Amino acid sequence: MSVRVLFFGATAAAAGIRETYVEVADSSKVAAVTNLVIGHHPALEGHKLLFSVNQEYAERDACISDGDELAIFTAVSGG
Amino acid sequence: MDFCELTTDLIDITSVARRVVPPECGATVTLDGYVRKFTKDRETLHLFYEAYEPMALKEMQKLIEHAKKDFEISNVGIVHRLGRLEIGETSVVISVAAPHRKAAFAACEWMIRELKRTVPIWKKEVYADGEVWVQGESGPPAAPSSNQEES
Repeated sequence: MSVRVLFFGATAAAAGIRETYVEVADSSKVAAVTNLVIGHHPALEGHKLLFSVNQEYAERDACISDGDELAIFTAVSGG
Repeated sequence: MDFCELTTDLIDITSVARRVVPPECGATVTLDGYVRKFTKDRETLHLFYEAYEPMALKEMQKLIEHAKKDFEISNVGIVHRLGRLEIGETSVVISVAAPHRKAAFAACEWMIRELKRTVPIWKKEVYADGEVWVQGESGPPAAPSSNQEES
């Protein structure tokens, strides 16, 4: 299945991209997709990462479905 | 009327504050958050904010809904600036209208604290000798009664 992955701020700077699509096995979890992405963009390693799936905060063990939007980012700093 | 918005334009604080006022209210508390020149001893040249816009709007809406359940307030407006901001420019405005001021102050304080932890917006500080994406203190949503220190 295909998952859209988005990066913001520090993770976009580390990955060098703002968006990518990855192919993963059906019913993969956030952790598996993230590990794959880190494999392609090793500079993400070492960042304390947070996640959202379809624009809702999600944990590493959350399941992902085909067509989902996974965002990978660091602690927010608005205000 | 409640509202939350993201904009790359200068924020007109007075108009944000006026838009939240209904007839039954007696006080509006407005937070004007703006760009600080010095953080500790380091001088900031300018800031850059970016957002995960659709999720940021959802999280701002959640803050408003949560605050309206837990505080005796009528209307809330939140506007956050994105893009490049110069020193002294307003980055965020939160206006809370309430029948009485006490609830408006408490709700406004709670909302800015939560916004800084939960709304997916990131700040890059640009210094004379470099730049850094600021890491906040994200965590699970906190109940309005919690009493944490502001970052």
